[in-house]
Amino acid sequence: MAPVLPLVLPLQPRIRLAQGLWLLSWLLVLVGGLTLLCSGHLLVQVWHLGTFLAPSCPFSALPQVALAASAVALGTGLVGSGASRASLDAEQYPPWRGVLGPLLVAGTAGGGGLLVLALGLALALPGTLDTGLEEGLGSALAHYKDTEVPGRCQAKRLLDELQLRHHCCGRHGYKDWFGIQWVSNRYLDPNDHDVVDRIQSNVEGLYLIDGVPFSCCNPHSPRPCLQSQLSDPHAHPLFDPRQPNLNLWSQGCHEVLLGHLQGLASTLGNMLAVTFLLQTLVLLGLRYLQTALEGLGGVIDGGGEAQGYLFPAGLKDMLKTAWLQGVGPHRPAPGESPPEEPPKEGLPEA
Amino acid sequence: MALLKVKFDQKKRVKLAQGLWLMNWFSVLAGIIIFGLGLFLKIELRKRSDVMNNSESHFVPNSLIGVGVLSCVFNSLAGKICYDALDPAKYAKWKPWLKPYLAVCVLFNVTLFLVALCCFLLRGSLESTLAHGLKNGMKFYRDTDTPGRCFMKKTIDMLQIEFKCCGNNGFRDWFEIQWISNRYLDFSSKEVKDRIKSNVDGRYLVDGVPFSCCNPNSPRPCIQYQLTNNSAHYSYDHQTEELNLWLRGCRAALLSYYSNLMNTIGAATLLVWLFEATITVGLRYLHTALEGMANPEDPECESEGWLLEKSLPETWKAFLESVKKLGQGNQVEAEGEDAGQAPAAG
Repeated sequence: MAPVLPLVLPLQPRIRLAQGLWLLSWLLVLVGGLTLLCSGHLLVQVWHLGTFLAPSCPFSALPQVALAASAVALGTGLVGSGASRASLDAEQYPPWRGVLGPLLVAGTAGGGGLLVLALGLALALPGTLDTGLEEGLGSALAHYKDTEVPGRCQAKRLLDELQLRHHCCGRHGYKDWFGIQWVSNRYLDPNDHDVVDRIQSNVEGLYLIDGVPFSCCNPHSPRPCLQSQLSDPHAHPLFDPRQPNLNLWSQGCHEVLLGHLQGLASTLGNMLAVTFLLQTLVLLGLRYLQTALEGLGGVIDGGGEAQGYLFPAGLKDMLKTAWLQGVGPHRPAPGESPPEEPPKEGLPEA
Repeated sequence: MALLKVKFDQKKRVKLAQGLWLMNWFSVLAGIIIFGLGLFLKIELRKRSDVMNNSESHFVPNSLIGVGVLSCVFNSLAGKICYDALDPAKYAKWKPWLKPYLAVCVLFNVTLFLVALCCFLLRGSLESTLAHGLKNGMKFYRDTDTPGRCFMKKTIDMLQIEFKCCGNNGFRDWFEIQWISNRYLDFSSKEVKDRIKSNVDGRYLVDGVPFSCCNPNSPRPCIQYQLTNNSAHYSYDHQTEELNLWLRGCRAALLSYYSNLMNTIGAATLLVWLFEATITVGLRYLHTALEGMANPEDPECESEGWLLEKSLPETWKAFLESVKKLGQGNQVEAEGEDAGQAPAAG
């Protein structure tokens, strides 16, 4: 049974492998830590903007999975640095011998799986942001006036703060405010002719005005903010159409939030890719180091050559061995040697 | 009788030197942190220097920066000294410098303490600077076409939005100044003409505020104009309305922000001062312990370390004596000269 991808490792290359692995492990710890911070930041942002994302939008799964994956990568880096440091010292290595095997399996299966899942989510989920934001922002705008309705009373404050902080107005522009009633009926005078006219002229009985809330105002404008009668060119004299209109924020909140969240998700995706690469390298190095040292029987300073490999035998052979292990106790076939653990002795072969 | 005598054998001396070496390197880190805090405070003051008339005092952040740099320098030097202290050959070259260095350390500790105190005391001068600066800022709010002042509107608006405040002491400050530029007033309108005529200085004053005073927590859309006229708005009473605009004045808001910042920085500096004082005391003990070794060639011998060779009143008397002798020395020379000149003249 030929080992898969064997590598001859005499003493000097083994020491070099351990030292290089130690450096790589600390690099993995650093990158894993940074990815952890990045996914934490994205999680906080998604939590803050929770009202403007539809509940059915699965985007919040990305930072959670990335958080778990980067934590496992951090752990892998720490284990790798400890093991590679111990492999250079004859006294420190024996306790690692038993633990390293299961740790490698956990690292590859758990860590690698989580990272691949996180990468997949980082590629797929930003596409769902569009519809999620559309729904969420539409609902927030519709409930702007419902400051007395329990469960919706925060919509006005949150939307005002969003427009003030992110410098945007409405969903795709300030005209979105013209299409909804954003003034609560509690503050409309039923005896006012203008109010009654407006409500009667509307099919659904809504009080629609060509005005916007104060949070749409742009402080860069040289004149005090014009919030009402925006479609009437004669309402505000001295307005110079040649000058760029700095009165209100020109961008819609949909574009601004989409760009913001997609930018964060793409940064996170890049960092996850780098973490994945580093983790693969560290796990490979650890596996080779482990198998080489097992070949020497756990004796570190032995000057003998050992062979490191990925798997003791090809996939077919391993499956056959496992099958025989399971069937063997019932029907020992003639001529077959009793099932053994994969050979620990390295074969001097390339 | 020495002050606070402690016996040192070799192991204790070694431990003291190693502990001091570690503490010195932590103190270098602390010095970098103080430097960073000073830089941060300077940047924060610079960011809002527009509303402080560009006349705010930068004494505190500058001294924090200076003290941080000095702390790094002194402590890395002290770390080197502690490292060399256990090797008699290397220590010999530091020996003559140690006493003046300790004196400089004591002076530095006193400076650090004074700087920490200053952090708590700057509040007073900041209050008056802010009051004047905000008043001027609001006066220039409408001058968006005057070069050099065109940014004031944006600055005040962003300030009121960020710090959740309105006006200098409250929103009524806006009623007393003209914050709408004449460029945007329609002089053909009767209402505008009436207002300007009714004012002595010919200013257009309104009982309204800019949009940045609006409070997003209000359940109703923001009321910015005709604030004192209850009948202008449905179901509105200006005496009881609290959520419509920000009620805090920007002077109080900014003052509280800077006070909190400087209190935190002052507390951190005091902690660093305690740390530095401990290091100076430890260094003094190490110095006297190494000086007190009976046989410099034998590292195993015991020695005593102390803070002051004699007790505090005796040390103070000895210090005064040495200062007097210095004065007397000059006097004796002068008398000698006079005596020399008198026989020459006489």
